[in-house]
Amino acid sequence: MLNVRLFDLTTLLFGAASVNYVAALYGKKDTLARVGTWLCVIAAVVSTAAIGVRWAESYKMGIGRIPVTNLYESLVFFAWALNFFYLFVEWKYRNRAFGAFVMPIAFLTMLFAFTNDSSIQPLVPALQSYWLHAHVITCFVGYAAFAVSAGVAVMYLLKARQEEAKTDAGVVRLFPSSKALDDLVYKAIIWGFPFLTAGIITGAAWANYAWGTYWSWDPKETWSLIVWLVYAAFLHARITRGWHGKRAAILSIAGFLATIMCYLGVNLVLSGLHSYGGS
Amino acid sequence: MADDKRDTSTMDKVWNFFTSLKLAITVLIIMAVASIFGTIIEQNQPIEKYRQVYEDWAYHLLDRLNMFDMYHSWWFLLLLVLFTINLACCTLDRLPRVLKVVRNPKTTLDENLEKTLGQVDRWKKKGSLDAWADKYAEAMGKTIGKPRVTKNGDAVHLYAEKGVVSRFGVYVTHTSIIIIFIGAIVGNVLGFKGFVNILEGQSIRQVSTPRGDRSIDLDFAVRCNKFTLTYYTDEHGHQTQQPKEYASDLSVLENGREVLRKKIVVNDPLQYKGIWFYQSSYGQAGAASAKVAIREPGGALVTGLSLFAGQPVEIPGYGRITGTDYQPNYQGLGPALLVTLEKAGQPPSQLWLLESRPDFDRQRKDRYYLSFGGLSQAFYTGLQVAKDPGVNVVWVGCTLMVIGLLIAFFMSHQRLWVRLSPSADGRVDVVLAGSASKNRLAFEKKFEKIQSDMKAVAI
Repeated sequence: MLNVRLFDLTTLLFGAASVNYVAALYGKKDTLARVGTWLCVIAAVVSTAAIGVRWAESYKMGIGRIPVTNLYESLVFFAWALNFFYLFVEWKYRNRAFGAFVMPIAFLTMLFAFTNDSSIQPLVPALQSYWLHAHVITCFVGYAAFAVSAGVAVMYLLKARQEEAKTDAGVVRLFPSSKALDDLVYKAIIWGFPFLTAGIITGAAWANYAWGTYWSWDPKETWSLIVWLVYAAFLHARITRGWHGKRAAILSIAGFLATIMCYLGVNLVLSGLHSYGGS
Repeated sequence: MADDKRDTSTMDKVWNFFTSLKLAITVLIIMAVASIFGTIIEQNQPIEKYRQVYEDWAYHLLDRLNMFDMYHSWWFLLLLVLFTINLACCTLDRLPRVLKVVRNPKTTLDENLEKTLGQVDRWKKKGSLDAWADKYAEAMGKTIGKPRVTKNGDAVHLYAEKGVVSRFGVYVTHTSIIIIFIGAIVGNVLGFKGFVNILEGQSIRQVSTPRGDRSIDLDFAVRCNKFTLTYYTDEHGHQTQQPKEYASDLSVLENGREVLRKKIVVNDPLQYKGIWFYQSSYGQAGAASAKVAIREPGGALVTGLSLFAGQPVEIPGYGRITGTDYQPNYQGLGPALLVTLEKAGQPPSQLWLLESRPDFDRQRKDRYYLSFGGLSQAFYTGLQVAKDPGVNVVWVGCTLMVIGLLIAFFMSHQRLWVRLSPSADGRVDVVLAGSASKNRLAFEKKFEKIQSDMKAVAI
């Protein structure tokens, strides 16, 4: 189907953009990074079109619904959101070094999506709700922000190590200052955290409307709470002596690992109420 | 407040412990890590299942630690209590100080304050001090807000602020968590969760608790009029095996009289007197039966039968018929029923009856002919039942939490001071200073803009 071809094209564009950003960092050629940006912009257009086409195609099949209801769709939606959030950060902070640490996440996500069933299936009764839209969109915007934060946190740790050693070599030299990186780790999280919170709340509201209980310690719910707790710890660590800087950056990375566990691990490893997300 | 005597008192040590950020971070991380265990060890399973999975010693250890119902264990509750005390103490400790600062802002810019501020600039102007004070007050009004004017000796101080509310975002968020907990406790104490199966055509007045150990009386009855299960159709219009909708047609009865009727589906429950009924499951009640009509050649109905598989039914003065087989799509002609007909003194005969051709059997030219009216299956519907008077409190808490986070993250308390004083050379000394509680980089830019705008002002 056309939408899948467009998503395949998006995968290639993310791959090419990743290669360009990494090559730009190693070869210290800004032209390559600029090409990376343009590839990301084209990927943004293509993937947005792909989501629209997929939505339209589902209507043509008589099962019209938002394309965020199985693993394939959620993966491409995550990559879509990540790309947009990344472009926003790049534009806002005028630094293309971030691309080498963020775009590979989008590329790997698309590669993983590629190995999954991409057919459009009708919605099971449990998912037929307007809460679906609010719940999935808020969660994934949050996830995208956390991915950016974790990518930048890795950059921060590299940069901070170099600043401590007072050396000035290699690609790390081209990174923004550790102060600016630390600020960006935080900025991405203050976007992600309210969205995650809203995602958990809309999920709870939906669960209450579908099952009569807003919290049942189901593994997916519990992992979303774990993610929330880790980022809450991050937010407090940042204003506590002895906890800001490196420890906060590590918490950001831990938070994203917990996010991956919440998003994929729960469905692929554990069992629970969210089983439809795993196929 | 650095009072040595007070610092050494035990009460103060306890208070400092409960109001510390380190405790908050530690409790958050411990709760996160502890929560992981409950997702790895399946919760609330039958004992036999755990026995199969775990060695004896491991089972006893985990059982001792309440790991099989971890989120309701005493130690997890203790963590939640510690978390709540920490939240409450932090709020009680810090909120009064913030209120004091907000109520009594420092409206004059003295030298000590000046040293603590990140953004300071100074310049000189010719002309009257009061005239400049008016001009600058006007300029401040356009960016931050209308300033308060304080005269202090020869000097004039202007002070303006914006976004004071941002100081409270964190307390709104913290309070919202406590509100959510209160809502959860109210729901647990005053509400209930239950489950009930209702056969089609029957009504219930009781539901059982999720564990099935107790039943709860309702002061009304609920009847299931009908349960329907529909499937998606494929592009050729054929029915697939993918369920599209589970629906129960329910009636609420008060003293036997219907007061409310609603078809509920998953994601669209029924609510009556604060009790909610959710479509949750379904099942077949008994075996399916085939509807068969016995007619005279003219079409007049003799009798209607419900045939269960393999159970013969006697038709007086005619013979015995038995439902033998059923095909949902017999030779491409749709649903069909195979019946065995035994008449006295004749060998049994078998005939296929097509649902789509009710007159088909007429061709036998017998005394009666049979027509198949489809299968009939009785269902029961499984309903989740819940009453939760605390749930709206929870939603209030949730809404406040999001509002609190947005205030805390995206608003900033911005303050701006201007001090005008007569200079020794007859001109006016101007000092501009500013601070922001958050997003200092953005405020730096804003401050530069204010600075250049003010310098450009002319009388």
